[in-house]
Amino acid sequence: MNCQQFQEVLPYIIESGGNEEEEAHLRSCPSCAELVRDLRYIAEQAKLLLPMHDPNPRVWNNIEQSLHQEGLLPEGRMSRQGHTMTYPTPTQSKSWTPIGWLMALAALTVFAAVLVNYKPSLPAAQSTAQNSSTQPAQLATDDQQVIGQMSQEDPGVRRAYEDGLREADAYISDAEQAVKLDPQDAVAQEELVEAHAQKEMLYQMAAARSLQ
Amino acid sequence: MTETRVVPVAPNAASGTRIERLGRVFLVFAVVLTGAVANAQSQPQTGRKEIRFDVAPNGTINLVNDAGLVTLKTGPGHQVVMIYSPHSNKMEVDRESTPDNRRVEIRSHALNGQQPTAEEAKVDMELTVPAGVAMSVSTSTAPITAEGLAGDVTLSSDTGQITVANMVRSHLHVRSVAGPVNLTNLSLGHVDVTSSGGAVKMVNVTGPKVNVATGSGNIIYQGDCSGVGDYLITTHSGDIDMTLPQTASVDLNARSVSGHVENDFPLQAKKHPVFVPKAGSSFAGTSNSGSSSVELRSFSGRIRVKKQ
Amino acid sequence: MTYNIAATQPHLTDQRPHKGKLTQAKKITASGLSEAEAIERAKGGDAESFEALYGLHKRRVYSLCLRMTGNTAEAEDLTQEAFLQLYRKIATFRGESAFSTWLHRLAVNVVLMHLRKKGLPEVSLDEALEPQHDDGPKKDIGARDIVLAGSIDRVNLERAIESLPPGYRIIFVLHDVEGYEHNEIAEMMGCSIGNSKSQLHKARMKLRDLLKLSRAEKAARH
Repeated sequence: MNCQQFQEVLPYIIESGGNEEEEAHLRSCPSCAELVRDLRYIAEQAKLLLPMHDPNPRVWNNIEQSLHQEGLLPEGRMSRQGHTMTYPTPTQSKSWTPIGWLMALAALTVFAAVLVNYKPSLPAAQSTAQNSSTQPAQLATDDQQVIGQMSQEDPGVRRAYEDGLREADAYISDAEQAVKLDPQDAVAQEELVEAHAQKEMLYQMAAARSLQ
Repeated sequence: MTETRVVPVAPNAASGTRIERLGRVFLVFAVVLTGAVANAQSQPQTGRKEIRFDVAPNGTINLVNDAGLVTLKTGPGHQVVMIYSPHSNKMEVDRESTPDNRRVEIRSHALNGQQPTAEEAKVDMELTVPAGVAMSVSTSTAPITAEGLAGDVTLSSDTGQITVANMVRSHLHVRSVAGPVNLTNLSLGHVDVTSSGGAVKMVNVTGPKVNVATGSGNIIYQGDCSGVGDYLITTHSGDIDMTLPQTASVDLNARSVSGHVENDFPLQAKKHPVFVPKAGSSFAGTSNSGSSSVELRSFSGRIRVKKQ
Repeated sequence: MTYNIAATQPHLTDQRPHKGKLTQAKKITASGLSEAEAIERAKGGDAESFEALYGLHKRRVYSLCLRMTGNTAEAEDLTQEAFLQLYRKIATFRGESAFSTWLHRLAVNVVLMHLRKKGLPEVSLDEALEPQHDDGPKKDIGARDIVLAGSIDRVNLERAIESLPPGYRIIFVLHDVEGYEHNEIAEMMGCSIGNSKSQLHKARMKLRDLLKLSRAEKAARH
């Protein structure tokens, strides 16, 4: 057996081993032996490659949006607020509303008297420290100040502003890079203006909210 | 007078039975009550209220209602009809007008010293306004629905869904942080939407000017881009999906910096393109007489144009 | 791209959940739920649990998509699609295999379907079967040159994988990186086991060329 013959069958025997003739060639041919050593070494090293990259946080945002649009989730964000919200299962759709209305009707006679002293046992909104597995980028100081002024707001709303500001910062960064690459590109410049406009909108709305 | 019949029973058994029955009844009420509070759409404590007030023909109404619902419609006459339902007695609605009724401010707020819960803070509002009155509505979580309005309309919400339908020759400005925006049957007007994370869906929305910009929100457009208009649809990382009929007359440019661009709509190559199309990243062309200018731009989102 | 050089941290090398040797360590989500609990709750439609599962598995799914496509934007889209399919199908997960295996297979199918829809030659092994004279690997007949074994920098390996022709890259990632067997790859790709082995061999040969070239360049610089 020569090297050419050996290398033609090599794809099919490299893992399982060859017949006597093939093994004999491997023992006697330094070049083919080195080739096999290299290929096995590459395969071993590949097994050690770790998953190393986290996706951009926008991937999660898109997943949420898609699920809302498909009606698999009701309006509003997925709960990161500590509310234990139960959503309809993906394979069935249930609605609490008819059952809730029936219950409300049945409880109407005692509803007024009891509700005065009844404290709904809805879980209190927890801090947004929960579920930090996505580890979003740190907000700039100005952005943090804006968020800080919204401490009285609904946690879901605060979270929406935080995400929006991160997204706007990423947009600005991308647009600045595009302008840097080609300062003559009018579209890139327009994109930069739009990116800043997005951030400005968020600031204006946050300011209006804190004034209210 | 009602006669009460007393039925003699063994004392312990009777009281035990009665206590058991009362206990069961209480338990049922407790369960039903808990379910009602946790799950039901609760009836507002204070019920619906209706008020009517004047507004000048070209006046402006500014409405702020953080939570609940806001519904806007157009009606005849010169008066505004407002129907509102607070979900609790911890909220009230104030209305102030300038002496000439050119500006009306409507705002829901918690009563002094009250700290309503998220549910208690809701106020459902429905306004029927005369045509031509400018509207500016701001909510935090309350969805806004506007139907058949004319004139200048500005709608902004943090996370509430914004739905607008059937507007003609109007100026619509929409701002959203994360709530979805749905626009249907808007024609011959100016439409300007800025949304950070909320998705934007447009069905039969036509110019002369349509500007939609999102940060990460996806954008869907279904229509013909008619009206000899300028359509500028941009997003940073959202996806753009556009569906056009064969009859659409558009001059279409699409490009994404790092996202994928697909075109399934028949276009003729331009003689003098503004940029050199690059397969998978950009394309440009015209359809029919290319009356409307359509620009689709994304940084990292996908752009897809399909034929209806 | 930045790379994490696991070679400098040998104690970490056994922690990757390589297919067939999955770590059965109890994974805890950020909210304190075990993975099994999160799965059960997610089946019932609990959104927080689904988000927790996303947090646990996003890195592996995304890395897979990125290695198979070599494109960040596509990898993000495909990661999104994989988790959307997960949400739709999680109720059908019976626990016959480990959840990560099941999810991983789902993600691979999403990537392959995407590549098929694009109609790109990435998934047509027929093209990859033909000798690619311009960039195909060279047969190594009787020549001895730079010794590779013991010298691979994993950073360079990642780069080399990225620069593989798409058809080679997919097979190599599925078999050598992700640990699928040839019969599984053949089933997924719609080819024969022989084809799968042949393409894998060519991918490894190509990588050998690229890595030796890289090593030679490095040596020349010093």
